[in-house]
Amino acid sequence: MIGLGIKRGTAELAVLSVLQERPLHGYELARRIEQQTNGALRFTLAALYPMLYRMEQQRWIRGSWETSANGRKRRCYRLTPLGKRKLSPLQREWAELFRALRQLTKVTHA
Amino acid sequence: MPDWQELVRQRLPGLALDAKDRDNVHAELAAHLEESYETLREEGLADHEAIQRTLARSGDWKDLQRKIDSARTGKDTMTNRVTQLWLPGLLTFALSMGLLAIAQKFGPRPIVLELGKGTPILMLYPSWLMILPLAGALGAYLSKRAGGSVPMVLVSSVFPVLPYAVIFMIAIPVGLVIEHAVAHNIATAAFLSLSLGWVLAPGITLLAGGLSTQFLLSRRSSTHSASMI
Repeated sequence: MIGLGIKRGTAELAVLSVLQERPLHGYELARRIEQQTNGALRFTLAALYPMLYRMEQQRWIRGSWETSANGRKRRCYRLTPLGKRKLSPLQREWAELFRALRQLTKVTHA
Repeated sequence: MPDWQELVRQRLPGLALDAKDRDNVHAELAAHLEESYETLREEGLADHEAIQRTLARSGDWKDLQRKIDSARTGKDTMTNRVTQLWLPGLLTFALSMGLLAIAQKFGPRPIVLELGKGTPILMLYPSWLMILPLAGALGAYLSKRAGGSVPMVLVSSVFPVLPYAVIFMIAIPVGLVIEHAVAHNIATAAFLSLSLGWVLAPGITLLAGGLSTQFLLSRRSSTHSASMI
């Protein structure tokens, strides 16, 4: 089973990475992550919004209400400069972790 | 189509945020659910199925409420425990002791249980026991309002008897082992009647109040949710 810390870490990385492309509202964000990971990362409300609010408290992202073309009000999230700075080391850490795990699996299988 | 805004409001009744923040969270989550529902409808799902699938993807609402409170207010689990258990529990304790003092001063004579030689070992106050469910109900209500889980709500309602339960279940048996001078038949009788008077009888009446409150609040919440779908 994947531990809570790892799950949270991957989810944060996913959100920051997707928001790096462009600002998105919550539903769109969850859908984009689900599509881009072929359904491997799927968020419930209980997983997504507390994380977004926490990241907002940490000032990695900023949410603001916007009105869409069809007149709907939605809260749109965008990456802050702090979030951008957070993303690079996070990507590096995860890349290192996956590299280490790949190496370990190779050794174990050999 | 359900009123998503109302549904979210009913399922997250106890968000510990100010009114504006709470409305914003409700509106945001409702917009998410509405969009999810509409996407499923566009994909060809029947109305009822789209609603069910949307709700199934929401996750646990109690968990969501707790996590949102924690994320938005910066409060941790410890703070939640204070508002969901310790505070309601201590208020219930204070109220039940206050009621006992009133019952002792103004209520009818207590029922006295005696040991053989006229030594009173327990005084039961029926008037106190009759109004004690109110204290249990208060503890349960405060805990529930702060987003407490069912066990937390019930523990809050029986909180006043917990210290006595600890004393009688641990301290007296330990005392008996250490102190051999007391005759065991007397000690056992005292132990049983003290447990009855200070733990079991008030515990049951407090729990009755707590369970009634839990039942009423859960029923009200589920009736509201069902009527919106």
